[in-house]
Amino acid sequence: MTTTTDGTQRAQRAQGRLNSVFSAISAFLISPFLISAFSICAPSAAPQSKTKTYVQTLASERLEGRLAGSNGERLAAEFIAGELKRIGAQPLPGQRDYRLPFEFTAGTKDGGSRVMIGQETFSTETDVRALSFSDNGDVTGELVFAGYGIVVPGSQDFGYDSYATLDVKDKVVLVLRYFPEDAEQKTKAILARYADLRYKAMAARQRGAKAVLVVTGPRSPNAGETIPMSFDTALAGSGIVAASISGAVAKGIFDAIPGKTLQDAQQALDSANPHVAGFAIPNVTVTVHAMVQREKKTGNNVAAYLPSTTDVAGVAKPWIALGAHYDHLGHGEAGNTLAAKEDASKIHFGADDNASGSAAVLAAAATLATQPRHRNVLVAFWSGEELGLIGSGAFAAKPPIPLDAIAAYLNFDMVGRMQDNKLTIQATGTSPAWAKVIEQSNIAAGFDLLLQPDPYQPTDVATFNSSGVPSLTFFTGTHADYHKPSDTADKIDYEDLDRIVDFATAIAKRIGDLADAPQFTKVEQQTQPGAGRAGVRVFTGTIPDYSTEVKGLLLSGVIGGGPAEQAGLQKGDVIVEIAGQTIANIYDYTYALDVLKIGQPAKVVYIRNGQRRETTLTPAARK
Amino acid sequence: MRILRSVSIAFVLVVQLASQSAYQERDFLTRVRRLTVEGRRAGEGYWSPDGRRLVFQSEREPGNPFYQIYVLDLMSGDTKRISPGIGKTTCAFFRPGTDEIEFASTHADPKSKQYQEDELAFRASGKERRYAWDYDPEMDIYAYSEKTGALKRLTEARGYDAEGSYSPDGQWIVFTSMRDAYNRQLSEKEKKQLDTDPSYFAEIYIMRADGSGQRRLTTVAGYDGGPFFTPDGKQIVWRRFDESGLIANVWMMNPDGSNQRQITDFGSMSWAPYMHPSGQYIIFASNKLGFENFELFIVDPEGKKEPVRVTYSDGFDGLPVPSPDGKTLAWTSSRSGGSAGQLFLAQWNHEKAVEALRNAPPKKPSNKS
Repeated sequence: MTTTTDGTQRAQRAQGRLNSVFSAISAFLISPFLISAFSICAPSAAPQSKTKTYVQTLASERLEGRLAGSNGERLAAEFIAGELKRIGAQPLPGQRDYRLPFEFTAGTKDGGSRVMIGQETFSTETDVRALSFSDNGDVTGELVFAGYGIVVPGSQDFGYDSYATLDVKDKVVLVLRYFPEDAEQKTKAILARYADLRYKAMAARQRGAKAVLVVTGPRSPNAGETIPMSFDTALAGSGIVAASISGAVAKGIFDAIPGKTLQDAQQALDSANPHVAGFAIPNVTVTVHAMVQREKKTGNNVAAYLPSTTDVAGVAKPWIALGAHYDHLGHGEAGNTLAAKEDASKIHFGADDNASGSAAVLAAAATLATQPRHRNVLVAFWSGEELGLIGSGAFAAKPPIPLDAIAAYLNFDMVGRMQDNKLTIQATGTSPAWAKVIEQSNIAAGFDLLLQPDPYQPTDVATFNSSGVPSLTFFTGTHADYHKPSDTADKIDYEDLDRIVDFATAIAKRIGDLADAPQFTKVEQQTQPGAGRAGVRVFTGTIPDYSTEVKGLLLSGVIGGGPAEQAGLQKGDVIVEIAGQTIANIYDYTYALDVLKIGQPAKVVYIRNGQRRETTLTPAARK
Repeated sequence: MRILRSVSIAFVLVVQLASQSAYQERDFLTRVRRLTVEGRRAGEGYWSPDGRRLVFQSEREPGNPFYQIYVLDLMSGDTKRISPGIGKTTCAFFRPGTDEIEFASTHADPKSKQYQEDELAFRASGKERRYAWDYDPEMDIYAYSEKTGALKRLTEARGYDAEGSYSPDGQWIVFTSMRDAYNRQLSEKEKKQLDTDPSYFAEIYIMRADGSGQRRLTTVAGYDGGPFFTPDGKQIVWRRFDESGLIANVWMMNPDGSNQRQITDFGSMSWAPYMHPSGQYIIFASNKLGFENFELFIVDPEGKKEPVRVTYSDGFDGLPVPSPDGKTLAWTSSRSGGSAGQLFLAQWNHEKAVEALRNAPPKKPSNKS
């Protein structure tokens, strides 16, 4: 048990004492008022909240922030499954359990990488450690020192290519980490963009190198140290063996060249003079054994259904779906916490995000279970949303029921913090049917609605929009406790959360009762989601799938009206080459964007249904 | 919810505008709710006498880009179109004690469908223009029977006849007509005026509920329009524009046209007045705070006090209509974004309104009038 956890428990014990003292005092003070209030103008008992127990349980300490793949997530799934059973919902057709497990990469560690130089073997992690994106394997070759290993694309009007004078084909490349240390600020800013380790590895691979070794130069921060494994849910290897080595190992290499030291070589490069070249290291053969253990974890979506109470034969799209992600950030392990450093590893309770949405779906299901239904009602609780919509993505990749049988999907993500009666409904552009249904249902519900047509939202509604399902997602707005341990159950506005449940139930019922399923409308998007690297100027209109391990870039969709759609690309295509750059994963793709020129057609090679195809994509300017 | 990687995260923040008044919007309006969603715009919601329904106009008819009239049942959430579906319509009103609803419509004009297609083609071209009401001279007032669906034409005169509303006993209709521009020889100056701004000729008229006994009540140049009876039936409240068409004020008169008197004096566009059922104050809209920023205000019927501001939201807030029990306000607002208005409802705090007017300073005369 860590000291942080100890501290938290102490604080909470103290808080508990304070609470009991406080409630004793206040109960004494206000009890006469309460009695009169109940006897005069209120029914004998206050109405029970439909959602409070659900939120309190999911956001409890025992569930530890429900990180996908963790014990807390497992307990949360168990709780939800139990509630589904109680409600009378059934496991999906063909499933025996409510839980639908999916595998994902939760982290990486070195699995015993080694480097052999001549007769000497280095095998401790202080001397050699695979980079988190390395391919696993053994490679032997001659060594070439390629400076900082930086290649600035020609489109940048800035000539810098560490490989300009080098032949690295079938060789092992040794490069420095970071970028020239003494360069002036402006030059540094440009070089830094291409100094990412993935980008360096890609540059080496594209020039035919067998492996890349990285050393942190003596003139750089962290001099001589191997590079820690980065947290990385991405997943595919980068198509090359890549490892970092210590300063000691590098010294061993440089000792073979009379009159040269790494220190001198780095110093010569550090002014960023583009004419300072690397060099082959003669008479040294190196063998690299790289082994990355990708930690596979299993997450659980939880899904059930309420069968239609009437015969669905002949009903257009005989399903409607309600869903919410129930996973959250755990103890902030995945690095997506917004808490201050000292709080970052505390339990992130995620009461609003998204115990509130999960509670809403459970409560709506409980109500719908008691009503006549003309369509089957799918209720789904996604995991892995916080790591990149992994759970809903896995569901859509192998849907237990056909997605085109779903008339509509209603998503709930952060619905517990209503202010001034304002409820935001996003993705309303996905069907022309929404306006009428929302208007009718809101007459009784009475929210001050903010409607946003855009379905490209950072929540599971994006998954269903990509699958062509008319969708809505409900949201009460972000707040200061977002992605922090302070997002707790006591801050939830249960009265309004219950109203959202009634509203959503009414919408679900109206859609369920429609003779014709709502039409799907593809919404055009103005800006590209995802990558978001500073300075990316081109717009291709692709929506990468972050949750799979395909070699290449799997598209989870294309943006309506964007260049990718115009090029004929579609969901499920795997891009393997663009403008002559091979693409092994999303990072390669992001870097390839730098080579593209706005308005200049680029050849794209992609795989569809196992077949290699080509098309031409003309990038547009990013707005 | 996942952290969005681009910069477009939609923070929903409530921006509290600085205000000099001791009151804020939430003192008067609570549980604000958006009533209409469907269609490009909606507005002019008027209550049924039992307070269970609203009749309003909305651009939501497939194939018709103009307003049609709909009745919304606040109990069931169901909406029904009661106008013919062809042409333009506006300004509906329930007739107390009957099954009739009056509204103005151009459906009898044979060119109606052509106008619809022209407008749809214009919108499809992607061009935009400022929203403007065109005072179609073919507009006439009709009474619709909810029982039989029959439509009875009440006005025949050439020129815009619209903006009708019934007296509380259901026996009279006050309305706006521009017939004065068509029933006589116009001077050259007036002809030019008719081309640029026909509303200059608009005057208030009254007629029996069957359309008989049509009589003119106002004779001052400039747009007189939007008349409503007060809840006791003894007064008519309306708005009078000056000849420029830019300055308007709230006025009151007797139903026979006597005792015409000005209530507000902002020197801006103050219009859409409606008396609260208590008879204690008039709710109206004004762009006093910015040409396109209409806000709701309340003023005492004598106009002795400086009006009190009610709404504090960006964009348009106008056409306020209190429910028959005085506890709910229906109005038209663009507060949810975009330039087009939609119908909103909120709980109305009558006690606060009375208190705010009691505390209000005496009326400050405008230097523009």
